[in-house]
Amino acid sequence: MAMEVCWLNDLDKAKEAAKRANKPILLDFFYSQ
Amino acid sequence: MGAVTYPHETVVKFVDYNFVPLKIEITNTALAQQFGVSWTPTILVLDADGKEHYRSVGYLSPEEFIATFQVGKGMFYLGTEQFPEAEAMFEEAITNSPQAHAAPEAIYFMGVTRYKHTHNPKPLNEAYETLKAKYPQSDWTKRAEVWG
Repeated sequence: MAMEVCWLNDLDKAKEAAKRANKPILLDFFYSQ
Repeated sequence: MGAVTYPHETVVKFVDYNFVPLKIEITNTALAQQFGVSWTPTILVLDADGKEHYRSVGYLSPEEFIATFQVGKGMFYLGTEQFPEAEAMFEEAITNSPQAHAAPEAIYFMGVTRYKHTHNPKPLNEAYETLKAKYPQSDWTKRAEVWG
């Protein structure tokens, strides 16, 4: 089974998750063609 | 990034273990303006308050991605004064990816971290000597010349 990164798409939810997990956020700005 | 780097198994494990991953379309102009982003890919490392600690612009291969964001996570720890954790991340980049573009950057900030942790300037000189010996053409070696 292929693995993939489970991206969030909401900054506030990412901040909450970062607090809970004690991890930094990796924020990727992308352009969907 | 989406075609090659992010599907790479080692990258998936690295991101999952080290970060909360967040993808935002650059057409979200409010957030793009908030972070001063005008080109993709631009990848930031933020703390849980949304403060930026590191930024990378442009494509990265899987190998370069991991070394770059080991430095990025090290910068998060440095910025939040978690010095032993910062040293550990920079050490990983230096040891595991000596050929990566981010390796001399990791040596530079290892020196900074040890200096800020101990207030002893010797690690800055050691970082410069290492950079001069291993990466004489690197920008980071030039930036560290004043430590020589």
